[in-house]
Amino acid sequence: MKVKAKLKKGVVKVKAMAKHNMITYNQAEKKTGNKDDANFITHVSATCNGETVLDMSTSQFLSKNPILKFQFKGEIFKKGDKVLMTWVDRKGKTGKGKGKIK
Amino acid sequence: MQRRQFLSLTVGALALAVAPASVRAEDYRKLKPAVWSAHKMDMAIKAMYGTTATIEEGVKLKAANVAFDSGKMATAANGGAIPLDFSTKIPAKTIAVFQDANPEAAVCVYTVGKYDMTTYSIKIKMGNPGSVKVIVEGQDGKLYSATQKLNVAKGGCEG
Repeated sequence: MKVKAKLKKGVVKVKAMAKHNMITYNQAEKKTGNKDDANFITHVSATCNGETVLDMSTSQFLSKNPILKFQFKGEIFKKGDKVLMTWVDRKGKTGKGKGKIK
Repeated sequence: MQRRQFLSLTVGALALAVAPASVRAEDYRKLKPAVWSAHKMDMAIKAMYGTTATIEEGVKLKAANVAFDSGKMATAANGGAIPLDFSTKIPAKTIAVFQDANPEAAVCVYTVGKYDMTTYSIKIKMGNPGSVKVIVEGQDGKLYSATQKLNVAKGGCEG
């Protein structure tokens, strides 16, 4: 997972991309005939210095290789701190990424 | 009457005192599985919040990079990746995104933490033209929403 974070005027803006095919139930059924082959990211979270800054449950309708942008208050964070992100998909696989706040 | 007011105040104060502790990771797929399998937007919203009554204000929602036809209909060239920007200034507990073009309605649910600026962008898939609804569950317990109708030139759920 690619993570870019920028601190500006007390706000940290984060742009992240998860590399994932995000196969919907319909796509899985078309390709393999088995709906259960669907696989997509179900949960994404981000932390910075141990504090949760993003927490989302997701469905198959995020795009392929979904790009997520979010913002959090920069008051207790500074440049050089790391934003850690993790996703979990339907099959239990996880992906990780980190980015330094610039 | 006074006693009653006092009681309700105490309960309110207790609820407030408990609230910060609830800011931790929530997996809504496990917590509320019915939300993710609901086929209609109304059903999914009901499964999530128990009601479909929302106040249409306080939430900004924009489908970016799409051409606007006359009226409020926006056309996305590629249904496979429609950029959505949404934000709110309302102190929120959760924010949920739904749409009515795909087989299931729920797209994602955010749990809002104490550092959260409640400003997000995501990219979504839409198989057919339809509308997108963002619902903000305020800390006051009310539901606020914004809706955007979208036309899709090319379906996003095709293989």
